[in-house]
Amino acid sequence: MSERLRESLSAVMDGEANELELERVLSRIGEDDELRQAWVRYNAVRSVNEGGHIANLSLDVSGRVRAAINEGNDGQALNKPAGLAQRFLKPLASFAVAASVAATVVIGGQQLYQIGEPDSYVNTLAGASPVGLINSVGATAVQASYGMQSVPVLQPTVRTAYRELARQRMERYMQEHVEQAALNTPQGLIPFSRVQQIQE
Amino acid sequence: MVSKLKFLQGRKFASAFAVATLLSAGYAVADTCPEINPEALKWLDKMSRSAHEVNYQGVVTFQRGDDMQVMQISHTVSGQSATESLTQLTGQGAQVVRVEHPLDCIHPGHRLLRLGTDLHTAAGDGSSAGTCGLSEHYRFSVTEGERVAGRKAVRIVVAPRDMYRYGYVMELDKQTGLLLKTATIGRGDKVLENFQFANLSYGEGGSQTADVDLVHEAEHPVVGRELVHERSYSVDWGVGWLPNGFMATDSSSGGERRRTYTDGLAVFSVFLEILPRDIQPGEGVVRRGGTTSYTRGVRMAGRPALITVIGEVPVNTARMVADSVALLQ
Repeated sequence: MSERLRESLSAVMDGEANELELERVLSRIGEDDELRQAWVRYNAVRSVNEGGHIANLSLDVSGRVRAAINEGNDGQALNKPAGLAQRFLKPLASFAVAASVAATVVIGGQQLYQIGEPDSYVNTLAGASPVGLINSVGATAVQASYGMQSVPVLQPTVRTAYRELARQRMERYMQEHVEQAALNTPQGLIPFSRVQQIQE
Repeated sequence: MVSKLKFLQGRKFASAFAVATLLSAGYAVADTCPEINPEALKWLDKMSRSAHEVNYQGVVTFQRGDDMQVMQISHTVSGQSATESLTQLTGQGAQVVRVEHPLDCIHPGHRLLRLGTDLHTAAGDGSSAGTCGLSEHYRFSVTEGERVAGRKAVRIVVAPRDMYRYGYVMELDKQTGLLLKTATIGRGDKVLENFQFANLSYGEGGSQTADVDLVHEAEHPVVGRELVHERSYSVDWGVGWLPNGFMATDSSSGGERRRTYTDGLAVFSVFLEILPRDIQPGEGVVRRGGTTSYTRGVRMAGRPALITVIGEVPVNTARMVADSVALLQ
């Protein structure tokens, strides 16, 4: 897989790809095994970091992307000559579809990008608990002061990883939190509807 | 009026010194409790009691952003206890049940909701002097409500007095005081989430028909036994700062990983994890509807730790609380 293609894939996963990069990835993903594997692997890393299983490793994501893109295109009247507005909107629409699909497949592509090699990928899996991505991030922190303690101002990669961490913790702790909310707010058991997956 | 009465009694029976004391005490209540709205407090009290004591069942929708969930709720009182259940009609299809919750088991959040009337009636003997209950932290106004689930409602607009909590627009059943609808209001009057009854009936419910995939029995602290399973957690830690009016929802002796606090309307929980290896310090936040999840990686007494605050409070509140977490000893 060429460096350029790798960069394009990373951009697509970040939702930052331009038309050209998107085109590059989508035109190759059908034929390029390595590219498809990379995509699937990123997906697996994310799923493990969410506390899920790695059983999806054989999942072929490109099919889903293609289906979504086709669906997006079908929404436009193909038989009619494209009007000016449509010609403007079409690239935007397909971009939005691809971006949203990429977002469901993987996020935080920037730091995941750094663990593209199979060996470090295994290492990351072994070290996934308890804080997932964080150990693989190599950004520098700059000190700034907020309130009583100094808190680092972060480079984007660390920020992305921490946002992911906050999301994971929300999932992990929500039920324990709403057990208390159910006893202490006028809504009764209704706060349980905040829990994504209620555990027995 | 009450303080005036006290003042008169004082002048009649006590020395000049006592007059001065009573005078200042009387005015302290009046001054530090800004514009108490007795009507609103009466409704809040009724709302709390009806949530425990009334038989009802209905369908509730919960909406945040594009996401809407539908659930069936039932609450049945029998003798001195209540049994309640929530059955998800969308999504996971789980059921949450709480069986035989004693009616006289009033948790701190509900005690705060009922404090208003205590304050109002007890102000005469001065026993509640110094605490203004929810009125200290929210401004209330009561108006005619809309119709919710076929019931006429009274509307209580709850505006926060500081920046540490959200506002609410609540619609209560005019007859029973049951909470029919709550909109959580963030900065700039933005509705963060909304829940409301779509239909509601009072009295004993019929059998339910929804398919249930999982049944979870809601937890309840057991007096004297609650911390046993968590005692293995090795560090003692504490939260150094809370927004005014928040109190712990359950007793804690410092050894467990979670603390939860409520002001009667909002709840947030603080979690501490001591990590086995270093992480880059930093912070991250995610919001979903009215819920904030704020996570910060720090070193505490030389040990890497992760502090997470989850709750229905603004990001700034979560951040301030996380900022104040410290190891004890």
